Amino acid sequence: MEAPDEQLMLAYRDGNAGAFETLYLRHRGRLFRFVLRSVKSRATAEELFQEIWMRVIEARERYVPQARFTTWLYTIAHHRMVDHWRRRGLSLVELDEQDAPGDAPDPARQVEAREALARFAQALEALPAAQREAFLLHEEADLSIAEIAAATGCNPEAAKSRLRYAIAKLKAAVEDD
Amino acid sequence: MTDERDPKVSQRYRELGAEEPPTELDAEILAASRRAAETRLAPLVPPTGRRRWYFPVAAAAIITLAVAVTVHVERQQLDPGFSGLRSEPPEAKKDSAPQAELRKAKPTKPPATPQPLSRAADAMQERRSAESGAPARLLGQVAKADSPEAALERIAELRRQGRHDEADKALAEFRRRYPDYRISEEMLKKVEKP
Repeated sequence: MEAPDEQLMLAYRDGNAGAFETLYLRHRGRLFRFVLRSVKSRATAEELFQEIWMRVIEARERYVPQARFTTWLYTIAHHRMVDHWRRRGLSLVELDEQDAPGDAPDPARQVEAREALARFAQALEALPAAQREAFLLHEEADLSIAEIAAATGCNPEAAKSRLRYAIAKLKAAVEDD
Repeated sequence: MTDERDPKVSQRYRELGAEEPPTELDAEILAASRRAAETRLAPLVPPTGRRRWYFPVAAAAIITLAVAVTVHVERQQLDPGFSGLRSEPPEAKKDSAPQAELRKAKPTKPPATPQPLSRAADAMQERRSAESGAPARLLGQVAKADSPEAALERIAELRRQGRHDEADKALAEFRRRYPDYRISEEMLKKVEKP
């Protein structure tokens, strides 16, 4: 039976480096995709991904398993993403109300958009940041509504609303196929 | 957990691919985690395991030391042999210790400067007297006596009046106040219960 995440994090806090490696390998893929699909740029995603894990390492001494480790990890990720948006003069709240304008589709993308998968990817990119974040936390990180609310600092109703809007828009993209 | 997933949306999302971070990045992060584990910060949590005794033992040692110092200071103030610690007039040093102690018990003009140690001793004296249950008047008689001899005379007077209970208590108080005072055989017959 695999050790729970929380137990591994506590072991790492107490100096067990091997526990962190297990934890990292367990979550690296999902967290990376969450970041990558939030910022679109791979270089930026790699930079943010590394910074998030560095914050986990730095925060190990303060770690107390009050919730699932996953919720704690994605709370750190959310805060790092907010910092990233702020640096770019954006905020998740602003992007919560309106659909992101998105980049003007270039000819190559218009060609790709004929394909269903590309259309879906484009729909995901076009989601408001807060809705996309809620969708990725649910779909990729497997967080519940309550956990999404905890990780992103909003109330459960807002989290549920964002998630439903996101799924409705993505579903429309899928059904256009 | 409330699952809001739509099967078609989930399937399409999975088809986007399972991108992974580059292995160089993995190596960097894991190396940083190992470095951090090797240079642990001071723990913010109470010690565990064998070290869990540190805090209780340290706390007990501090409490014991504080109580011991307090008791020691109080005893010094009540012990005539340590009267030199008090701020007494120089002539008091010429007297015998019991006499100096008794003089202090007389109602006198309050000292110009605070004497916390003396006040603490007096407070202790009063507390002990109250605990002994002796009538305040009797204790006052002993305390206000000019000398141990005078105090013994008062006790002898109580005996003569047949007020043995009061005499017993006054004698006990006298012995507590002057533990090293040697009562003569003659006086002893007068003050002790027949």
